[in-house]
Amino acid sequence: MVARFLTIPRTVLLLIFVLLAVLPYVLDSRYWLILLTQVFIFAIFAMSYDILLGYTGIVSFGHAMFFGIGAYSVAIFMDRFGNSYGSLLAAVGATIVLTAIVSAIVGLLTLRLQSHFFAMLTLAVSGLFVVIAEKWRAVTHGTEGFTFAIPPFLRDRTVMYFICLFMMVITLMLLSRFTHSPFGRVLLAIRENEKRTESLGFQTLYYKVIASVVAGVFAGLSGCLYALTLRFVNTTVLSVQYTLDVLLMTIIGGVGTLYGGILGSALIQLVHHYLTNLAKVHWIFERWLILFGIVYIIVVMVFPHGIIGTARQWWAKRRFLKMREERTLNG
Amino acid sequence: MDVFVNLMINGLATGMLIFLLAAGLTIIFGLMDVLNFAHGGLFAWGAYMGVWTFASTGNYLLSIVAAIAAGAALGFLMERFIIKPVYGNHVAQILITLGVMIVLTELIYAIWGPNPVLAGLPAFLDGSWIIGGIVLIKYRLFIILVGLLVFAAIYYVLHRTRLGLVVRAGVMNKEMVEALGINIRKLFMLVFMVGAGLAALGGVLFGPYSGVINGQIGMNYGILAFIVVVIGGMGNVIGSALAAVIVGLAGAFMAYYVPELSLAVNMLLMLLVLLFRPSGLFGARR
Repeated sequence: MVARFLTIPRTVLLLIFVLLAVLPYVLDSRYWLILLTQVFIFAIFAMSYDILLGYTGIVSFGHAMFFGIGAYSVAIFMDRFGNSYGSLLAAVGATIVLTAIVSAIVGLLTLRLQSHFFAMLTLAVSGLFVVIAEKWRAVTHGTEGFTFAIPPFLRDRTVMYFICLFMMVITLMLLSRFTHSPFGRVLLAIRENEKRTESLGFQTLYYKVIASVVAGVFAGLSGCLYALTLRFVNTTVLSVQYTLDVLLMTIIGGVGTLYGGILGSALIQLVHHYLTNLAKVHWIFERWLILFGIVYIIVVMVFPHGIIGTARQWWAKRRFLKMREERTLNG
Repeated sequence: MDVFVNLMINGLATGMLIFLLAAGLTIIFGLMDVLNFAHGGLFAWGAYMGVWTFASTGNYLLSIVAAIAAGAALGFLMERFIIKPVYGNHVAQILITLGVMIVLTELIYAIWGPNPVLAGLPAFLDGSWIIGGIVLIKYRLFIILVGLLVFAAIYYVLHRTRLGLVVRAGVMNKEMVEALGINIRKLFMLVFMVGAGLAALGGVLFGPYSGVINGQIGMNYGILAFIVVVIGGMGNVIGSALAAVIVGLAGAFMAYYVPELSLAVNMLLMLLVLLFRPSGLFGARR
């Protein structure tokens, strides 16, 4: 039983999580704690995006608006109602409700359209959110943004590290359950062939809207965590830049795998960090997005399943060849 | 009256710029079924190329030619190496053209720096005429003139030449055109290059119009062009021209009277059109 559960990938995964859990006690570096915390937060964000792109096959260019709603909810509640746990809880509740409502409305209005139009409309709607945040200065302080205090216990970087790690693992488990449920199977069917799924009697719009609500809520939660670690918020959390980041992470890591989001987030955060340091050597490293843009185009064209998906294919092929070899030897 | 005429001219000029961008976008979509998210990037490249050429040579005509050439060359490379492998796969197309948009924008920052660049104006287009107390800015009239000429040229090619006939037939039914022995791939490439060149032309005209350019104009005008294409109907050039004028005028008047709503109005218009008349306001086919 234990042997069957502990396949090689699962053992590796477990080891990585154990390593991450003891890391703060071994490595005494504030810098790395913060960097890894960012990796966890963006991993949640990327996994939520994977529900849309990888499991349902819909391309949204407005995912940052849910991230931004989460970040702004925490910031505004902390700013207005004091830095107590009560208001933090209320902010998280508000995030869940708001992201669910917004994603349901946007989904109901736009998901019946062709993929082209959907991508475009989500881009437009998230643009509207940026405009609202810029103009509604009384609450959002416009483009400059504002800083705010958070509950004292959460100011400790190690605490935030563990919270974010914990949230990432929980998200991974919940979303994994979700995608392996009968509901998730229908989403896969929609990704593969929407018309056929519809003719099998499934209300595809309903499934797609629920998928976008799930994705929106988890993106909102990652936004909450982001605001808590930064203790500052401005309109960039709603910008296309964050959508692009999450797109790169999901695509390069591997769509339709969930783990791809985690790997992509780690890869992009770390490489970004090293390349920005290299900017002193040569200015081209300042524009690290060129590199990622090119990698991204190549991945979409040549490895549409990303790193994790391609590795899995390679693994499956190897096992198949090995099996065939054994069979010819025995038979 | 003065304000009204000025807003009119402003709106028409902006409309013409958007039309130049939307014309390529809509034909490319109609013919090839590709929605090019990098189209705004070509616009920005045209603007930078034009401003740079004008600043270094002082020859305005040459700057326009250079911008169009750069746009068409980029269009050729894009079609040949990036879009061709993903024909027919919508999700991959959307993802890949967005990737191209990132690379094009970042290349602009890498080559010309992240700071906004001032765009010069040639002496013969500088200044304005005053007729009966109304100030007419020369350069805006020039943009409107160029836009009308381009529209006339596109209309002529599409409706009076054999090439245009084939393009229109391709928009209606690709397979049939192919079955009749026409190399549709060659046509795709030509149309893509012309579309890219028009976007770059829009960009180079935009430079002196706004006085200053930055890397964000690609995304901003790209979204406006999408709105126009949706309102005008996908694949419908004349519809796009009308929609561009509507969006340009709406933008100019809203920016003057209710600046907060100027972007929102266009977005809402697009949303309504998509929900209730997905084939666009003009032309009822499809």
